[in-house]
Amino acid sequence: MDIKGLKIKSLWVRRQVLEMIAGAKKGHIGGAFSCADILTTLFYSGILKFDVKNPNWPQRDRFILSKGHSAATLYAILADLGFFPVSELKNFCSNNSILGGHPDRRIPGIEADTGSLGHGLGIGAGIALSAKINRVKFMNVVLMGDGECDEGSVWEASMFAAHHKLNNLVAIIDRNRQCVTDFTEDCLSLEPLIDKWRAFNWDVRVVDGHSHEDLFTSLGDFRTRLDSRPLVIIAKTIKGKGVSFMEGKLVWHHSVPEGNSLELARRELS
Amino acid sequence: MLKQKNKQSNVDIRDAFFDELYEIAKKDRDVLFLTADMGAFSLERFKRNLPSQYINVGVAEQNMISVAAGLCLGGKRVFVYAIAPFVTQRCYEQIKIDLVCMRLPVTIIGAGAGIVYNSDGFTHHATQDIAIMRTLAGLTILNPADSVTAAAALRIAYKSDSPVYVRIDKGKLPLLYDKKNTFSDGFSVLKPGRDLMIITTGTMVHQAFEVAEKLLGYSIDAGIVDLYRIKPINEELFLGAVKRSRRLATLEEHSVIGGVGSAVSEILADRDVVLPLKRIGITDKYSCNYGNREWMRKDYGLDIENICKVLVNW
Repeated sequence: MDIKGLKIKSLWVRRQVLEMIAGAKKGHIGGAFSCADILTTLFYSGILKFDVKNPNWPQRDRFILSKGHSAATLYAILADLGFFPVSELKNFCSNNSILGGHPDRRIPGIEADTGSLGHGLGIGAGIALSAKINRVKFMNVVLMGDGECDEGSVWEASMFAAHHKLNNLVAIIDRNRQCVTDFTEDCLSLEPLIDKWRAFNWDVRVVDGHSHEDLFTSLGDFRTRLDSRPLVIIAKTIKGKGVSFMEGKLVWHHSVPEGNSLELARRELS
Repeated sequence: MLKQKNKQSNVDIRDAFFDELYEIAKKDRDVLFLTADMGAFSLERFKRNLPSQYINVGVAEQNMISVAAGLCLGGKRVFVYAIAPFVTQRCYEQIKIDLVCMRLPVTIIGAGAGIVYNSDGFTHHATQDIAIMRTLAGLTILNPADSVTAAAALRIAYKSDSPVYVRIDKGKLPLLYDKKNTFSDGFSVLKPGRDLMIITTGTMVHQAFEVAEKLLGYSIDAGIVDLYRIKPINEELFLGAVKRSRRLATLEEHSVIGGVGSAVSEILADRDVVLPLKRIGITDKYSCNYGNREWMRKDYGLDIENICKVLVNW
């Protein structure tokens, strides 16, 4: 899919997320929007290898949504790709739905149960190490929130991945600069974030997380990189991206649009 | 059934466990051993001869569990190892989500069941681990009391298709079983008892033999059940074995809250079985005192004399 197509797809994904969260009257819309362009680039530009007809294809690339609260975005994409029917999206978080507020392995296309932060990178590192041991060439991509980097386990995993030279592991950080109730730099400073990851011996790249071109370029060589270090991409994003009145506003971490705000959001995402 | 006093093992319970792991790992190269910088005498051979299957993840138990989950998802047969409280309580959420929720057959090995690490203090004591691990659906908990059960626990864990937690004691403990036992029941009546059945686990099984002998002096015929598999318990089989006794007692080097005593009382309550039950274990407190294991047991009221006193006065 070309850049224009990715942009259209991102718009469609955000609209699905809006309807899912509005329908369920719950969800984490701000973070779901901030990572929408990252996920569309990963899944639609040919970067990730997968087989919809065979979700457990052993050679597939593994994607772990460590910031599991952005599940709605991933569900919309997996449904659109055909991992499960698009009609299932309307059941998001409803009784007996397969789609809960955070992803689990029973859902086709989901690799790991996530929701509690700070687990995904370690799991991704374990899969990456198994691939190294088995001499299998698939890639492992883990998307984390920036607030998630407050968790000590992220840094345990970071040290582990660097020590074992897991260059088949890519961490992407959705750097929207917000956690749940605060701005990251106002409660537990992450900066200098680039220096931290460099000091942990990772190859660090910084991109505009809403530019499909930037994301595609930064990930373009991820399979052939001549570097023994794991790769981290710090994607600068805006929480709530795509709906003007949500952008950068703390309240939209998990507020649910309704009434006028829902109509306004629909208009902006049409 | 074997007479406890007649068979002193010449193998440390840890060595029996890790030697079995070594033999399996030699044949199955998908077996990986992860340690959070914790060693053992018998692991040296594993480390030396199978270095690609031995990974020291550093002092990072949370990451060890997540990495184990990932390795398991990648087709590996993973055993993780650290001091019992660190590999259960420190990383409990990783166990809950990454192993139990994802139903991954990783084996957690906790060194130092109960108060093995006596004078190292309560940071190193595993006296709440059974309680918290018991609440995890689908997790098997094994607590071997001799070298034969320890080796069997390793084999059971290796064959399991779900996560397993093994609490490992230390030392050369008297042998309770012969190697033909399949350990499929989850418990064993090591001594029948008309008046009282002492249900116990791990190293306290040996304490129970001493207690039962002393109780004879008070005309109390006490039996002993070794609950080597604390979860799941085959409830029907278990009740069939114990309910002929007039009274039950549980004995454990663990908190009485949530441990074997709780497990037994839950079965009695759920099955409408009315039998007097005395739970003997660590009451709702921490000992901040220091001493050897025998001294610590006395401090906690788990010495033979006090256990007998409690049971005679009951």
